[in-house]
Amino acid sequence: MSSPLLPSLCALLLGCAPLGAGPVDAFGAANRQFQAGDFAGAAASYEQILAADGPRAAVLYDLGNSYQRLGKYGPAILAYERARLLTPRDPDLLANLALAHKAAAAFDEPGPNPRLEVVLTYLSRNEWSWLVAGSALALGSLALLAGVARLPRPGLRQAAVVVAGLATLALLAGGTALYLRRAEANLGIVLTDAATVRLSPFAQAEALGTPGPGRLVHLGTRQGHFYYIEIPGANLRGWLARKDVAAVTPERDQNPVTANERK
Amino acid sequence: MVSALHYHKTFLQGVRIIAALIGLAGGTVPRAAAADVEAQLDRDTVSVGAGARLTLKITGGKAGQPEIPAVENLIVEPRGKSQNYQWINGQSSSSITYNYVVGSNEPGDYQIPAIEVAVDGQKLTTRPLRLKVLGAAASHPPTGLPPNGQAAPAAGGEAEDTSGKRFGFLTVELVDYDRKHVYVGEIAPVCIQAWLPADARVQLRSGVQPEGKGFTLHNVSAQPQQTHEIKDGKRYLVVTWYGGISATKAGKYPAALSVDATVAVRDQSARPPQRRRTGSPFDDPFFDNIFDDMNAAVIQKEVTLKSDDQEIEVRALPAAGRPAGFTGAVGDFKIESAAIPSNWKTGEPQQITARLSGTGNFALMNAPEITPADGWKTYPNKGEFTAGDVASFSGTKSFQLSAVPRQGGAREAALAFSFFDPNIGAYKTVTSPVQKIQVAGEDIVDAPPAPEPIAKEPENTAGNLVAQHLLLTRRASLVPLVARPAFAKMLGLTAALGALGLLGAWLRRRLGDPQRRARAAMEQATRVALQAAARCAAANDVPGFFAAARLALQQRLGLLWNQPAAAITLAEILARLPEDSPVVRLFREADLHAYCPPTTGDFQPDWQPLLQEALATLTPSAR
Repeated sequence: MSSPLLPSLCALLLGCAPLGAGPVDAFGAANRQFQAGDFAGAAASYEQILAADGPRAAVLYDLGNSYQRLGKYGPAILAYERARLLTPRDPDLLANLALAHKAAAAFDEPGPNPRLEVVLTYLSRNEWSWLVAGSALALGSLALLAGVARLPRPGLRQAAVVVAGLATLALLAGGTALYLRRAEANLGIVLTDAATVRLSPFAQAEALGTPGPGRLVHLGTRQGHFYYIEIPGANLRGWLARKDVAAVTPERDQNPVTANERK
Repeated sequence: MVSALHYHKTFLQGVRIIAALIGLAGGTVPRAAAADVEAQLDRDTVSVGAGARLTLKITGGKAGQPEIPAVENLIVEPRGKSQNYQWINGQSSSSITYNYVVGSNEPGDYQIPAIEVAVDGQKLTTRPLRLKVLGAAASHPPTGLPPNGQAAPAAGGEAEDTSGKRFGFLTVELVDYDRKHVYVGEIAPVCIQAWLPADARVQLRSGVQPEGKGFTLHNVSAQPQQTHEIKDGKRYLVVTWYGGISATKAGKYPAALSVDATVAVRDQSARPPQRRRTGSPFDDPFFDNIFDDMNAAVIQKEVTLKSDDQEIEVRALPAAGRPAGFTGAVGDFKIESAAIPSNWKTGEPQQITARLSGTGNFALMNAPEITPADGWKTYPNKGEFTAGDVASFSGTKSFQLSAVPRQGGAREAALAFSFFDPNIGAYKTVTSPVQKIQVAGEDIVDAPPAPEPIAKEPENTAGNLVAQHLLLTRRASLVPLVARPAFAKMLGLTAALGALGLLGAWLRRRLGDPQRRARAAMEQATRVALQAAARCAAANDVPGFFAAARLALQQRLGLLWNQPAAAITLAEILARLPEDSPVVRLFREADLHAYCPPTTGDFQPDWQPLLQEALATLTPSAR
């Protein structure tokens, strides 16, 4: 059992991967660049780590800090939002994200029920998903156990009923949360100051407005080099160049614009 | 063949006689209140060889045949007459209209003198008419007249058409334009006409479409007008659209447009040769044409009518004299109204409304600007256009500007709008009346250049940033589990586990069912008893056979009646089953052999079938 099967299984169950030596060194070097005041160099190093090794909450957080130091609030908020997918309750992250929003004057529209939103966003969508999947698996296992083995002991039977009730509650709560937060799969962040919402997906089309960097937008259909976007609460919708916006969840953007294209 | 020609000639004479009678009847006009004679030309200018329609209308009396005075080189050809009766509230009125075609082969100004008509013995005269014959066109005779005024094809008749326009053609003309050029950005109103043979059946299959890329077509009228006109001696059904064309680049471009149509015309090439004239009053080509047209074959063709490639010059807007506030409007505009609030406060926006009217390209018209512009910041909107004609060439456009004053004090303000007037070829600026306004508050001083980047300097938030995270966390996916295929697999696994659990519970319940188990035990006991009975029957063991048979029946009856098998007696059976039941008969036989065995003791062959029959009757309905 000394094969990598166990760590891999662990990673599969936990949705994460074990640490490697290379990224640790690169991460340390990037941090030193940041502490030396080379924010641009640090940001580039963090980007390289993410590209080579995949997303890590600490790297995304530090990348957001680097961009914020550079005054690039769009990429900073994007990095923070991505870090929030992994560590949704990290107080450092939430504090710096709020600072970035304030600096960029990109304030999200509050929803109609703030208390409900606090509950819904306490867990990330990934955590809600695991809660739903775990609850469903528990219910299925209990169903199999009760169906096949009949649970002869009364105490065991009562415990099974309690577990089934809790799993059902968790399943309903998680399913509701995922349903109410389904629009987050299409969230994007405006990256540049010059990002302009246009009437049609052409560079020369009539400009409808400039949402500003760091603004949260709903990404719609994609046509060529443009996304159809809608800004919540601003009644502004139109086409935004792909180089000016990035999806928070990368799987939304199958062919993301590279950093070179963005430049 | 001779007979057919004779019949045709006789028929024509008959028709002519009927027409003469109608003419005589037409001459008898009922009395009317007042007699009147009026002559009218449908146009006052024709080209050489073309004709104008002259109508002479006589109302309110009995009139004789009018005579048109002869004019040198002017050809006048009668085209029949029409009669109209009216009877309103006991009052009758009537009129006769004589039609002529007038033209000439010589250019010049002609005057048709007053026409004298005798109505009820009274001589009435018309006013003289003038007709100008232009020499530009080819020297064709007027409608129906060949050169020298001899025998001619009738109105609407087609000579051999070698121009390729037999099925019609399309013309595009600038409307009411003295100039032959347009300017970039100008929407020039055009009249688009489809000229179709008057005697043709026509179905338009498309609207007007631009053929080239030089011009853009705007607001073509949806409901075209239809008229009948004569052009170059031919009658046409003319379908007319109005619209506008504009160009974005200077140069000379063909105003090529097209219309798809299905046109059915009579094949005039199949006409019989010209008849020899006899000189009689009814020997008129008009009658020939009626019958010739009726007999001619019809040719139907799907055609695309295209305008001649008439070139229109597009000139660029001059750079000289271009006002600073010019935004591309081309036309002739004026400020209808401008409402500027009297009291303002620096930094606070208010609405200014303005309405501009005129003719031209309203799509390129932006809102007027406040003048003097110093001390104002404005946020104009797109405006709302109200068309004044079907082609949206004229109209009004209303604007609402949000304006913010940046300087306090008493000031004067007006709205100014600059445009290019293509008629004079120069820029114009129109200004609304100057208004005195009062702006309260202090002047707003502009921040130093590029204030936005300064506001976003990282130093503003750097001091408050929470420090870096130095511990590298685990790698994880940004894609939530719900968006990954594993989520669906997990839910599928859950469903499979639940289904397995349900299957297990069902199997367990089925296996542990006491009724089912009792049934199985009974079946087993019955099978054993029947095997014993069979063995006894084979061994001629009569008591053994009946004991085994009784046991088998008791087992089955006990299951059916939910009683222990041992408690099933003959009395119980007699209480539930009829007397002639095979079960009763077998039980009686078994009791007989148990308690009073016969002396012979041989096994009877009908006992075995009786046992089978008794078992067969013990179905669930025997409960």
